[in-house]
Amino acid sequence: MSVAPPPPALDDALLCYCTNVTIGELREACRAGRWPTAGKEETGRLCTGCAGDLLLCLRWFGGEPAA
Amino acid sequence: MSSRPSALLSATFWEPGYEHLVEPVHQRDAAAVRRLASLDVAIHDESGKELASLPEDPGREILDLDRLVRDVAGADGRVMVLFDARYDERVFPYRPHHYAYLHRRGSTAPALYYAVNAVLGGVPERIGAAGLNNFETYVFRTSPFEERYSLLLGNVARFSTAEAEVFLHYERDRDTRNVTLGPKAHVEVDLPAERAGQRLRRVEVKGLFRLASYVVGRRAAGGELVLFDHLFRYFT
Repeated sequence: MSVAPPPPALDDALLCYCTNVTIGELREACRAGRWPTAGKEETGRLCTGCAGDLLLCLRWFGGEPAA
Repeated sequence: MSSRPSALLSATFWEPGYEHLVEPVHQRDAAAVRRLASLDVAIHDESGKELASLPEDPGREILDLDRLVRDVAGADGRVMVLFDARYDERVFPYRPHHYAYLHRRGSTAPALYYAVNAVLGGVPERIGAAGLNNFETYVFRTSPFEERYSLLLGNVARFSTAEAEVFLHYERDRDTRNVTLGPKAHVEVDLPAERAGQRLRRVEVKGLFRLASYVVGRRAAGGELVLFDHLFRYFT
């Protein structure tokens, strides 16, 4: 099982297939302290398939987990 | 609307010995052929290890999945096949589901036609569903049949481990199985058709995250697939 944060080489990879958020966008938004960005509030909550990855990425990137 | 194409990740399972064809786009209008923006196929063994990642021609009408997978090194048992489709929402106002044909070579069993399980994406607010949960279910027919049932479950997550509970509902009793799957790992969970003289009526999968899930029936004699269908999700 991979437990290491995703490298920047994966930044273009799609994290949430419903809201089209990439790993890089999440990383940048967390760095800037502005996650969730406007229009992306439902990331991880629609099909929910990415919810586990989202929570891990938020922890790795220092973002607040979605309530 | 985002300038980026919409995305859908679908999953199926391959095993050797079957004709297995996938129709990426079901064309309904010969005068207005629709195509995906791109289609990438990834193949994972039971542990989740990626065996291959293959960009496919998004205009291809039929993908010969068996031919694609059987040449991949390490694909000697069941593998999970992921289809990462990107599409223009104006061309596909709803999700571009993939459909498939499955038939064991030389078998007298009828061919199976199924919708490939759409796992990630395509559930933006535009479909109007609220209060989604991760209960998925399948109801078995009531008459006994010479089949062995099982559940195929796959975790399509990139990083996270998934846990799920599988509930087997018999006529009066219930049985539970717990499943833990690492990223891209998959498993076949046996579903005994009978327990203490009671028939299996229904199976449910419950988890925090959505998984790829199919219910499978195999002929008791011979073992070929006679049922291959994804579970159905409750929308509330």
